[in-house]
Amino acid sequence: MKPGMTIHRLAAVLLLLIVGNGLTAADPVLAQEKVVYRLKWLINASTAGDVFALDQGFFSREGLAVAVKAGGPERDALRELELGYAQFGVASADQVIRALAKGASVIVLAQLFQVNPLQWIYRADDFSLTRTQDLEGRTVGITYGGNDETIMRALLASAGMNENQVRLASVRYDYTPFFENQVPVWPVYRNTQGIFLSDKLAAGGERVAFFDPSEHGVRFVANSVVTSQKMMDLHPETVGRFTRALLAGWQAAMSPARETAVIQAVAQYDRDTSESVMRRQLTVTRQMIQPDPGIPVGHIDATAWQQTEQIMIQQRLIPGPVNVVDRLKTQQSP
Amino acid sequence: MLHRRIFQFLIVYLLGIGLLFGIKIVLNLSDYVIPGPAGVWQTGQAEFSRYVGDVLDTFAVAVIGQVLSILMALGVGVAGRRATWLGSFIKVAAYNVQAYPIVAIAPILFILLGDGFLTRLFIAAMICYFPLLLSVIGIMSEPVTDIEHFYRVTGRLRWQLEVKIRAFENLHKLTTVISGSATLAMAGTIVAEFIAANAGIGYSIRIALYQSDLAKILVALFIIGITLSLYQGILELLGAGLKKVWAAG
Repeated sequence: MKPGMTIHRLAAVLLLLIVGNGLTAADPVLAQEKVVYRLKWLINASTAGDVFALDQGFFSREGLAVAVKAGGPERDALRELELGYAQFGVASADQVIRALAKGASVIVLAQLFQVNPLQWIYRADDFSLTRTQDLEGRTVGITYGGNDETIMRALLASAGMNENQVRLASVRYDYTPFFENQVPVWPVYRNTQGIFLSDKLAAGGERVAFFDPSEHGVRFVANSVVTSQKMMDLHPETVGRFTRALLAGWQAAMSPARETAVIQAVAQYDRDTSESVMRRQLTVTRQMIQPDPGIPVGHIDATAWQQTEQIMIQQRLIPGPVNVVDRLKTQQSP
Repeated sequence: MLHRRIFQFLIVYLLGIGLLFGIKIVLNLSDYVIPGPAGVWQTGQAEFSRYVGDVLDTFAVAVIGQVLSILMALGVGVAGRRATWLGSFIKVAAYNVQAYPIVAIAPILFILLGDGFLTRLFIAAMICYFPLLLSVIGIMSEPVTDIEHFYRVTGRLRWQLEVKIRAFENLHKLTTVISGSATLAMAGTIVAEFIAANAGIGYSIRIALYQSDLAKILVALFIIGITLSLYQGILELLGAGLKKVWAAG
């Protein structure tokens, strides 16, 4: 055999190996469909199921390469859906209803929280809020323009109270007015900030309690998973696979037996929250995601959505009905 | 000068809003992402008077903050103009403090001063003070050799005269810097209101953002722009008038 031929054969074998190897390695990548999932807020216990679905391969088993992106005050998943920057997102019901009122085409795929985590914290030793009327004469914090303002106004209206009967105080992320008791009734996300604030006050020997609007007749829907009508029409199978994987991820994440794995998944992103705090956050989150074992994770509570729309019409946050129930996946063909 | 300023602003604003409407049409976007002209017009009609009040509230704080900044910058700039240890220290401190992002400092101010007038004023002053200071130090530390030489050799150059000569010879630069700092003061006040206040147009923009209402933000930007154009035009006129009076005197 000539030395030149040997070199050629070696080169050919090498080339085949490289190409073959490349094809083998590329296979799973090619099979994965890339989609972007924009969350509503930063990653914490409230997004446990989202990151757990990613971390434990629920999406990849459905053939999806999902980029789970943290949200924030300047991020709006609904805008990103329309602009094509994301295919799936998380939005609150008021965001969805506002978007529908302005002509956006949104479909609600699942309702993550069955109980709205937005509640009001107060010092249990100072007073008790067992009825909405107990708020009379108190300074109550609200974020003007936020959904806590809408919820509080709806609560007052449903209790037949005039807004002048309480002192509404504008709040933001700084808790000083609450710590200093200037605003003793403060809006918080019960499952995240609520735990942190309880700990702070407990360190000073104070007990806290929470005022939950849903216990007083106001069931304002919180975070839900959404996609665009276009995505639904053009890629219904992808939507189905995504929803299946996501809800399976949430279902698994809400199992107390998997708590440690869930904490590890969330801790990759949320490095500022200690494990013990996260455990308690998860315990409360579980009660809000699946308060009744008979109701599946992701169940869309159409009645609560209707009530949310009604509240927004009454408060003139939207000019007229948007028939949000027609945009819920329960009403869509699969 | 005033009408030119307003005209220039209107061109910029209309170009910007036209671009947005163009994108809306080309990409077939809903009013939720980009509102249509009718939506912006209706929002303008509904919110104009309230937003004018908010802008004037912000503007008042911005002007007070700017005046304070000018006075502080002139004082410190004059003190720091010499190549002494103190002069060098002031420059280094100004550069360093300017590097801190105001959004990181604002929560501390909020704790110390609350969410009222003082926080807004302080942030407005901080944002426009340092660029002003650096410009004033730059102008004041640059000798006007031709003129100063005469007074120096005749032994009549006192610090007050030195400052006066340098200010007069650089009056155009100073006017431009002061006029430009109006934008910074306004931006600073709006940032302060956005982060830590319950009043002003920054606070209203924050609420509009919560409500995902871009139409309100476009209306707010229009009123802010018009107000700033008017103010900057007035400052330039004042600068030109001052130079005339000074030259005549």
